[in-house]
Amino acid sequence: MGRYIFRRSLLGVATLLLVMFVLHLLTTFAIQLNGNPALAFFGERVPTAAQLAAVETRFGLDDPCYDQTGNPCLGPFAERLGAYAQGDFGTNLRGREVTDIVATAAPNTLKLFLVVTIVWFLLGMGLGTVAARWRGRSADHGIRLTSVLIDAFPIFVLLLVYRYVFAVPLNQWATETFGAESLPALWFRPSFDDDHPWATLLVPGILLGLAGSAAFIRLVRASQLESYTGDHVRTARSRGLTERHVVVHHVVRNSAVPVVTAVGLTFTEALAGAVITEGMMNIYGMGGVLWEAVRGTDVALVLGVVTILAAVTVAVMLVVDIAYAALDPRIRYA
Amino acid sequence: MEIDISGAAEPGAVGDEVAQGDRPARTAGATLLEVEDLAVEFRSDDGALRAVDGLSYRVEAGRTLALVGESGCGKSVSSLAVMGLLPPTARVVRGTARYRGTDLLGLSPTKHRAHAGTHVAMVFQDALAALNPVHTVGYQLTEALRVRSGTSRREGRRRAIELLDLVKVPNAAQRVDEYPHQFSGGMRQRVMIASALALDPDVLIADEPTTALDVTVQAQVLRLLAEIQAERQMGLVLITHDLGVVAGVADEVTVMYAGRAVEHAPVHDLYARPAHPYTRALLRSVPRLDAVGDDRAVGGRLPVVPGRPPAPGRVPPGCPFHPRCDMARDVCATDVPPLDDVAPGRSSACFFAAELLGGVRA
Repeated sequence: MGRYIFRRSLLGVATLLLVMFVLHLLTTFAIQLNGNPALAFFGERVPTAAQLAAVETRFGLDDPCYDQTGNPCLGPFAERLGAYAQGDFGTNLRGREVTDIVATAAPNTLKLFLVVTIVWFLLGMGLGTVAARWRGRSADHGIRLTSVLIDAFPIFVLLLVYRYVFAVPLNQWATETFGAESLPALWFRPSFDDDHPWATLLVPGILLGLAGSAAFIRLVRASQLESYTGDHVRTARSRGLTERHVVVHHVVRNSAVPVVTAVGLTFTEALAGAVITEGMMNIYGMGGVLWEAVRGTDVALVLGVVTILAAVTVAVMLVVDIAYAALDPRIRYA
Repeated sequence: MEIDISGAAEPGAVGDEVAQGDRPARTAGATLLEVEDLAVEFRSDDGALRAVDGLSYRVEAGRTLALVGESGCGKSVSSLAVMGLLPPTARVVRGTARYRGTDLLGLSPTKHRAHAGTHVAMVFQDALAALNPVHTVGYQLTEALRVRSGTSRREGRRRAIELLDLVKVPNAAQRVDEYPHQFSGGMRQRVMIASALALDPDVLIADEPTTALDVTVQAQVLRLLAEIQAERQMGLVLITHDLGVVAGVADEVTVMYAGRAVEHAPVHDLYARPAHPYTRALLRSVPRLDAVGDDRAVGGRLPVVPGRPPAPGRVPPGCPFHPRCDMARDVCATDVPPLDDVAPGRSSACFFAAELLGGVRA
């Protein structure tokens, strides 16, 4: 098991480096083709050559390779890796530390993620298990229909409908009934409030979780159905174990491996969904920061945020891999 | 064997009240399980398909009954019906399976399930698929014991080691914590047998227990089954397609064809004088080393039963075997031959059984 974790961690680090390198190549080519991002620092003003050179030096854009189209700029890449290794992710165009920006934005995103994960995991496991257990009955048909319906409403439609059709009247009603600072009023507030992060994140999180759960429900159902017909389930029944025990210890337990794999995939999906959700609900989070950085050609910030997001994703995948091995001994001893 | 884990010898040792409380001791020859006129149907797009049609057999303490037939003849389905393990698409349409007088097939699914494992247990073929890959062998051996009778984890582990010793798995104390995929095929099948024995069942149904194993291991596993059965005076139902396997182990044989029993006989009589053309054809197709001087001399071809067994739903009228039978006459295509007694302890579903018995004797 120790060796397995070591190997997987090594693979994770390699993946991260590869992602950073590809990211570096893409931004390098973007700079080479689109022109100097240091100009963005000055906005509308036209800088003198000396001012421009100073800004270029400050943001590490002074390397001549940025003027040679097709040059991979390995020198600046190595420099940046060195800086990252010392915890220095640079500053944005306004001189604020990237790490500082991430430190204020990330907690909100993490809170949103926590709500999302709990919602889709509970919905997926619960409804998927019920659908598989009563396959072909009305419960199964109802759950499958619901999951298709959810898929038919992408997250941005759900949020739009919620925000403009439901949130305002619900918020008004709650404010009148319970007061403006009451929990129900905060729940239905149409935009994020920094003073009450949990309460204002709850409904967007549930909606995003709902959107993510649709595919997960079907996956849980399918993998459990496969377990139900397995020979080992028949063996468990032949030992006189109750159906309830068989379902928990032999069906759900055995279907955990594909389900955990899906957790990794759904996580990345939720990451994309979070960018949209944060944008629409005015949540100050990683998605919003990234969006602004791209729009403002803030190279250091884009690189820093994407690198951190990539590191989080790699870490989640590593956890999934370890969980995978913990759940299936055939992988552990392979 | 020193280890005795039967509850009868040491009351209270097996904490399963359901299993032990109402169960008399096994006396050799006592009828434990009696299947009568069992019929099982599968739902399909072509309507109901009869997989088992009027099968009867009796299992006695300390005796082994072999159910023999080609694949698809209903031998496995009939035992799944007895265990209450039929897939949702199948159902019992007729018949009884009385365990010490209680008709298992008339019970509710929950009550039927309670008999499984404690009174009638089953050994499946292909132990790799039939054991759960994500639980340790020790967990699976005593899962039923712990869940059904509240045996503690520590006690369960001790019992699991005993069970592994019983089926002669070397290094039991160590291997109890391993997973099924870490065992060899033969050892895995022993684990399968041990897990069926955990609740000390009266009747053990072994469905092709040696099919997935190579020949030397087959012999070891069969010998082990026979030993344990003799020691515990269990009733054993051995399901197989291989008459070679049957010879050394079984006391009696029921030959099945297309969902029906076509012949029933004590094992020696069956081999000496088959009373059904299908049995005779099966026996001819068993390879033998001592066949010199026979009409199947060394180097000759091994005879096969011509044709294929009918698929359920396509069983021909009359005797189901008549299209493949070398003795078939007109009557065989129109009338179904009943399973009639042809000699003491023997029955055959062939109109010409007497002829067969007489012919071979001459």
